[in-house]
Amino acid sequence: MSDHDIHAAHAHGPITRVGDIPAHDDHDHAGHAHESGHDHGHDQGHGGIGQYLLVFLALCGLTTMSFLTYSPFWPWRDQPHVGWAFMMAVSCTKAMLVVLFFMHVFWEANWKYVLTIPAAMMAIFLALMLVPDVGMRNRMVSQERALHMARTSDVRLMEQAAEAKALAELAEPAAH
Amino acid sequence: MNASAISLPHGDDGHSHGHDDGHHDGHGHHGPVLQYQPGLPLTRGKLIMWLFLSTEIMFFAALLGSYVVLRFGAPVWPKPHHVHLSEPIGAFNTFVLICSSVTIVLALESARANKAGLAKLWMLLTLLLGTLFLGVKGYEYQAKFSHGIFPQAPRSRIYEKPDLYYGSAVRARLGEPAIMDKLKELDDTPADKLTAEQVSARARLQQIRKMVASPEQQAFDLAVVADQVMPLPTEGPGGSHAGGGGEGGGHGGHASGLNDIFPWLKLPAVIPGGNMWASTYFLLTGFHAIHVMVGLIVFAILLGYKLGPKDAGKIENAGLYWHFVDLVWIFLFPLLYLF
Repeated sequence: MSDHDIHAAHAHGPITRVGDIPAHDDHDHAGHAHESGHDHGHDQGHGGIGQYLLVFLALCGLTTMSFLTYSPFWPWRDQPHVGWAFMMAVSCTKAMLVVLFFMHVFWEANWKYVLTIPAAMMAIFLALMLVPDVGMRNRMVSQERALHMARTSDVRLMEQAAEAKALAELAEPAAH
Repeated sequence: MNASAISLPHGDDGHSHGHDDGHHDGHGHHGPVLQYQPGLPLTRGKLIMWLFLSTEIMFFAALLGSYVVLRFGAPVWPKPHHVHLSEPIGAFNTFVLICSSVTIVLALESARANKAGLAKLWMLLTLLLGTLFLGVKGYEYQAKFSHGIFPQAPRSRIYEKPDLYYGSAVRARLGEPAIMDKLKELDDTPADKLTAEQVSARARLQQIRKMVASPEQQAFDLAVVADQVMPLPTEGPGGSHAGGGGEGGGHGGHASGLNDIFPWLKLPAVIPGGNMWASTYFLLTGFHAIHVMVGLIVFAILLGYKLGPKDAGKIENAGLYWHFVDLVWIFLFPLLYLF
């Protein structure tokens, strides 16, 4: 690293990416000169509109896939966990696509790991730390609370009521 | 470094060019090339945006994490249909946000290519898509509010189970003077002035009025009342594995509830687990909607700029934020609508 290098870097002000500003200057001209060339020139070497559209199509396809779990064609309707795992996998894939390509992280320097990995780990730990106090809050509850909180039996009761109602409605015209 | 692994057409890859053609910006040709530079290899604005986003990751991770933990720790959680969530609407909103993510990225590309007009167009489109998202969200909120689903007590009419407290709440509502007047008016209306549905609903309403007032009330009666007021709809198309087989066609939808047929009635309704659901739903989607609004304000401000190559940094930062908002929704949609 020579003094000349340092000097040159400062002359450009806060250059933060290799060749950033000179590249823009060059390629604005290139873009005017020939239409087809600009696509590759201006965007710091990544993507291009074709790639963004590809990612877009992939995102749409993935959304449709997670929506599939709700459709009658989903074969594991009676096992919700399969659907949940599938949807989370799809969501993580979508998130990766957005982060890597739309947020340009794929092309970023190594600082990306410094920011994203600790944040992601803290996010996971945070959720895990909630499990004992919040997730398991209903393992041991007071008698009073058990009396007033909703249970699956309440849903069943209402379903039975719905079936009974169907009978009542059949009987109704006769009463009139 | 990723950048050095990708072969670039020309220009910004100082790694490969720097040493042989004496690239004038004086970058070195190996490693991160930053020895001369007292900072991270990104603009300050972008650095700040990423730091902000990392706090945002934790913010939403806390919200989403608590939602997941609350949900799976709950003895009952409402099915999406119990709380009048519509999956197609949610999927549509997902699509809208994905589209807006693409348009903002295209705005950035256009600005970098010195096509300010095109950049403005994409930016405007992003703004419109974001507004559309909020509009759909508002419509969805309205559907919740009209069913008495609010995050908090004075307005919320959600009861957890069809118990005595629920029964007395229905009785109290039916005993309110304004409602009693309305009920009298309804009873006095001749049957030919009402639709067949309203006539049937009136008969059912008279039944439940007797049921809640009866001293020989059974526990099951209150479940019948709750079901009459706002039935828990069965699962979506083709998937009614919860209720009886013939249930789906006849009155599977919630439109047959008394609250729907007589909107002025506003009787308390039972959604087991509904209160916790409402709290988490409104908190998650509300914070997300606030983020969308902030994004829209930023886009509106950016539209005042020329959006040429000089503004590319601003667009990039706004875009980063917007993609994050999209990212949050990518997780919110399946967690709220499909789980």
